[in-house]
Amino acid sequence: MPETAETSHLIVRNLLTAAWLLPLAAFIAQVYAVECWSNRLSRASGLLGCAAIGGSLVLSLLAVAFFPSGSGSAHTADDGSNHAAVDAEHEAHPSATPAALAGRYYTLARFGDSRLELGWYVDSLTLVLFVVIGLIASCVHVFSLGYLDDERTEDYRDEHAHAGDEQPVSRAGRFHLFFAYLSLFCFSMFGLVLAGNLLQVFAFWELVGFCSYLLIGFYRERPSAVRAANKAILVNRVGDFGFLIGLAVLWTSVGTLQFATEVDSKGVTASGLFEQVRGDGQLELSDDSKSVVLQRHLEAGDEPAPTRPTIAYTLFVLAGLGIVAGSIGKSAQFPLQTWLPDAMEGPTPVSALVHSATMVAAGVYLVARCYPLLAPEVLLVVAYVGAATLFIGATIALTATELKQVLAFSTISQLGYMMLALGVGGWGAGVFHLSTHAFFKSLLFLSAGSVILACHHEQRLDRLGGLRHRLPWTAAAMLIGTLAVTGVGIPNPWAPGYSLALSGFHSKDMVLASALAFVRLNPLHSLLYLVPLAGAGITAVYMFRLWLKVFVGRPADQHVFEHAKESPPVVLIPLAVLAFFSVFSAVGGESSWLYRGLVTSEPAFVAASSTSSAIWPITHPGHEEIHAAHGAAGLMVWLVAMAGAGIAIWIFGYQPFSADELRATFPRLRQFLLDRWRFDALYDLAVVQPVLRISRQAIAIDRTVIDPLLHGASRLLVQLAGWGRRIDELLVDGAVVGIGAWTWRSGERLRRLQSGQLRQYVLWLGLSVVVLFGVVTWMRPG
Amino acid sequence: MQNFDLLLLTAIIFLPATWAVPLLFFPKSAVEAMRWWTLAGTAITFGLTLVLWGKVDFSSPDMQLVVAVPWIEPWNIAYRLGVDGISLPLIVLTSGVCLLSMLASWSVDKQVKGYLILFLLLETGILGVFLALDFFLFFIFWEVMLLPMYFLIGVWGGPRREYAAIKFFLYTFVGSVLMLVAMLMLYFEGGYTFDLMRLAAIGEGRIDGLQFSRSFQIVTFWLLAIGFAIKLPVAPLHTWLPDAHVEAPTPISMILAGVLLKLGGYGFLRIALPICPYGTQAAAWALVGFGVFSILYGGLAALAQTDFKRLVAYSSVSHMGFVLIGLGCWKISEQTGMGVGLKHWEMGLHAALFQMIAHGITSTGMFFMVGVLYDRVHHRDLNRFGGIANRMPEYAGLAAVLFFAGLGLPALCGFIGEVFAILAVWNYSPLAAVLSALGMILAAAYVLWTVQRVYLGSEYHGPLAENLTALLPRERFVAYVLSILAIVFGVLPNLLLSRMQPPLHQLVIRMDEAYRGLHQVLASIGQAGGG
Amino acid sequence: MDGVGLEAYLIVGAILFGCGFACLLVKRNAIAILMGVELLLNGANLNFLAFARFTSLGLDGQVIGLFVIVLAAAEAAVALAIALNFYNNHLSIDVDSAKELKD
Repeated sequence: MPETAETSHLIVRNLLTAAWLLPLAAFIAQVYAVECWSNRLSRASGLLGCAAIGGSLVLSLLAVAFFPSGSGSAHTADDGSNHAAVDAEHEAHPSATPAALAGRYYTLARFGDSRLELGWYVDSLTLVLFVVIGLIASCVHVFSLGYLDDERTEDYRDEHAHAGDEQPVSRAGRFHLFFAYLSLFCFSMFGLVLAGNLLQVFAFWELVGFCSYLLIGFYRERPSAVRAANKAILVNRVGDFGFLIGLAVLWTSVGTLQFATEVDSKGVTASGLFEQVRGDGQLELSDDSKSVVLQRHLEAGDEPAPTRPTIAYTLFVLAGLGIVAGSIGKSAQFPLQTWLPDAMEGPTPVSALVHSATMVAAGVYLVARCYPLLAPEVLLVVAYVGAATLFIGATIALTATELKQVLAFSTISQLGYMMLALGVGGWGAGVFHLSTHAFFKSLLFLSAGSVILACHHEQRLDRLGGLRHRLPWTAAAMLIGTLAVTGVGIPNPWAPGYSLALSGFHSKDMVLASALAFVRLNPLHSLLYLVPLAGAGITAVYMFRLWLKVFVGRPADQHVFEHAKESPPVVLIPLAVLAFFSVFSAVGGESSWLYRGLVTSEPAFVAASSTSSAIWPITHPGHEEIHAAHGAAGLMVWLVAMAGAGIAIWIFGYQPFSADELRATFPRLRQFLLDRWRFDALYDLAVVQPVLRISRQAIAIDRTVIDPLLHGASRLLVQLAGWGRRIDELLVDGAVVGIGAWTWRSGERLRRLQSGQLRQYVLWLGLSVVVLFGVVTWMRPG
Repeated sequence: MQNFDLLLLTAIIFLPATWAVPLLFFPKSAVEAMRWWTLAGTAITFGLTLVLWGKVDFSSPDMQLVVAVPWIEPWNIAYRLGVDGISLPLIVLTSGVCLLSMLASWSVDKQVKGYLILFLLLETGILGVFLALDFFLFFIFWEVMLLPMYFLIGVWGGPRREYAAIKFFLYTFVGSVLMLVAMLMLYFEGGYTFDLMRLAAIGEGRIDGLQFSRSFQIVTFWLLAIGFAIKLPVAPLHTWLPDAHVEAPTPISMILAGVLLKLGGYGFLRIALPICPYGTQAAAWALVGFGVFSILYGGLAALAQTDFKRLVAYSSVSHMGFVLIGLGCWKISEQTGMGVGLKHWEMGLHAALFQMIAHGITSTGMFFMVGVLYDRVHHRDLNRFGGIANRMPEYAGLAAVLFFAGLGLPALCGFIGEVFAILAVWNYSPLAAVLSALGMILAAAYVLWTVQRVYLGSEYHGPLAENLTALLPRERFVAYVLSILAIVFGVLPNLLLSRMQPPLHQLVIRMDEAYRGLHQVLASIGQAGGG
Repeated sequence: MDGVGLEAYLIVGAILFGCGFACLLVKRNAIAILMGVELLLNGANLNFLAFARFTSLGLDGQVIGLFVIVLAAAEAAVALAIALNFYNNHLSIDVDSAKELKD
């Protein structure tokens, strides 16, 4: 049915494009809101933002409905030939990634036979992320209407920023601007997910980073916020540096950055990255295993070229590592995790949207999207990075003292889980956890925001306590989030999908199952299972510690406690929506709608177990192996999580030790964790200070080397000129003056001949004539 | 048609200078009238360049609207003009930047008449350089441009203006002298002609029996390259730039950064590369090497500045490094002399030219934005700003657009040039690509730190806080135009790239052929010697 | 007349010239000097006429002779006027008293 395929292709494109551009339109309107058609007291900007993102959500849902579903859940490795969707100009060619639609908006540049363009690439991963982003962003927008209500004023007093005289800074409110930034962020995030090639991903990657900069630095009067914003962008740029290198490798060696294979209007096929690298499945290595053979699309009748293009295996690995470096920066993975905790300086809705659910997950998205481009060795790196990150994040979260800090480290840790899952071959598990995590982590952050709002921006854990009496709804919402992230539930070892549990349980279960399957095949890498298992326990401890410290126990600060009051409905409704999704989004586990939708986008080669032996042998588990490990892994992680929860409830609920006793138990370990494993100090010492020193040197070189050279040269010139002047004065001028003087003297002498005696003159005349006559006669030739 | 072309091109070049003549007869007190008069002149020139834009057929790789009128016949010098897709964007950029900086010239109060006359002469000189197709004419305009600039810095500049002006003059003059030597060498070696197109044809081996020898090309290329590199500028020949920028009045800084630096890059593309393909290839490593050095050095030096203008000046050094690596990333195979991945070099050339335009927009904008602040509070010490975003929100927003364009934020014009250059240079040298990508981190660092110190924060620390008033309509116009251009070219780079493509593609093809020809000669000599 | 050759005329001319020159040298009276000048001129004039007669100078020589006569007359007129003026200033026509040219 080519016609329907074509129409649905166009419909999906137009819907998603509209969903993508709607927030941009809102942004432009909002930037000029105050000047043009509103004032600082108006809600219009916020409502416009809500309308725009709501519209995007509806459009995304429609796109899901129109997405060609024939290729849906019945995915197998060999079905890549029958859902090519054709439109007038482009064709998403069947390749390693089935069920993808792709096309081009316009060309950015064309060099020889290579082209860079603005395109789009839609598969179920794109769609799920569109819906998830739209949903969470809508909730956050609505929540922000309540959270930032105090910005709707001409005179906002910021208690955290001080002018020179120690008075709180007073400024005009920036309600409209906040929503403008949020809209811009949504636009960038949609663009990132929709992007049809790696350069476009990179562009929107930077743009979301920029939006995050704007949002972290929203309270721009606070030095800490501005510093955090700068740090976020700079640390991210370190990762992006790697990303750019990866792009350069692929661009140079493969010759395209396009994901999908495209056919242009002249019928010329340009093979996309995925097809070129993976063909229809596994990497094809050259005979000596030193390079990867690229699969270029052949026209009908073309003979295969005798030497097919290849890319050196080391370069291929380098490209993968570059892309992963970008992910590490954006997803706050070890060793670039340090920016995310600082990013909590931004308003809480931002933390919920940007710094937990969507933008930071972009790194995971990138790894998932570029999965076919990653060599097994790179995936191993991804797995270890994930493992390291989840452990570091979880341990720091144990001692963090502020509400949002705990959640930030929890985010880092959970992102580590996703990376780990992707690294061990659990593609579905990784993106599944990405989706569920988005729901429950934004729920947690918004709940935290509700607490912060109720307690007038008090978020230190030792000043809170017992708040469940004052904030019952918030407490319930946060408990749901806590249970979800902890993975608490009643497992069903025989049919794990039908356990009675929250979303986090299912997705984490899948992650652990993938890890266990991987470790069974590669016993050398056992850590990759043990670390996340331990992490699950630690997660339970810190999350329950958080909930108990905030909502249970005696109020630490009576003043805060008594002034706390439950947030308005505009804040609570988004919590309810997110809570609903946190509970139900993954019901059914492997057979849930969400998971089955996601795995249709899974690269074909993941489904079956595979062994690669380019550098050292790594065996990745297939679906079957993972499924087999599910029961055991689920049971173990459940036990560990319950143990962790139990410990937390014992220590922080029943409080057998006083806080001071706890602090004194492992003072040095505690300090190490409070210093966040001393990464910041290390980077300051190893990178920031040296760079600043070198930069000062650079100016110093200008001032002390280059300029003095120039000055020396000019001084030499002046010296030379001095010599020249002396020569002038002595020789040239001397000669001229000498001749003048001599002439003068001669004249003086000759003057005596002028006696005035007329007859004497005549005599001279006569004599001269005679003499002349004589001379002429004598000189006469012959 | 020929006559009309001649008239149009001549009008574009000489209209500003002619326009300056009536200025002599304005009474000294009619300052406002003189400004409007000059503004009208620059606006008409800009309009004429747009007419030119409309007349050029961008799909053709060849020089268009070529006119040649004999001038000094005994020496075979002609008044030869023409445009193509390489020069035209720069011409429109020039007239546009001149128009905008004329709008920014309202802040100049001292000896307005002299200033405006020199300003117009400067515009004539620059446009002449971009339009000239005769090396002699090119050189004349090159020098014509130098003098007004010298006086504009030396008379209307800041406290150390004499030092800066002389430094600027000396540096550029050294470059000119080297160029003059190269020019005369080419004149005699190329059969007594100054015709750039003929010289290029000889250099590219397209004329039977006449070809510059390899050693000749290498020497000539270095002479030309040093001259153009000073203008670009390339570290370590850059130290005139910070001083000149810091001391020059705002509109002159805008022209200096926006247009004058591009003359160096244009010189490479129009003269050094096509005339000396072999020399280019022999010096490619140096172009890329010094380009990378400039990127890193400029970025590091910018990071440590406390003077706002000096910071922007060093950022220019860094940005122009990308131009140089784009120009130089021509990889060949040592055995056969064949180009390896020529399409990447073509991309590099595109990136270089695009970066020139983009930098013309962003650096003009950045200097203008610094000038707006300087006009109000009369200092440029980065540590004594802060909180400007709250006092002048619209200004801060527009400044952010331009500064982030300089940082290389996607969807703004700085991104395209820099990223394309890095992608292109990997083919030539992965190390160079890695190092220049580091330059983008440095760019982020110094831009962000500047934005933090100037625009963010709780309050303004410096003097004259009461002067921090909203933008005037004139200033707003300039800022919006530049910001919108930055966005347009960032989102639709193909507007420019597709127009540059035919001539650049042809250049790549021809240079590759020329190099191969010479390389084969070399190889056969080598074989003969070995045999 | 035929026996008289060019040399004879030239000798007479030279004698006349010599007399004039001697007159210039020895006389202090301005009028006498004037007469010496006339002798000089006529000596030269005689040469012209002789050359006109004997060489290819032809009529040109005679024309120049006429010119010289006219010139001599004019010169005499001017010189007499100078002498008169000189006398008015110095009450003498002794040329040795005329030394103003020296200063």
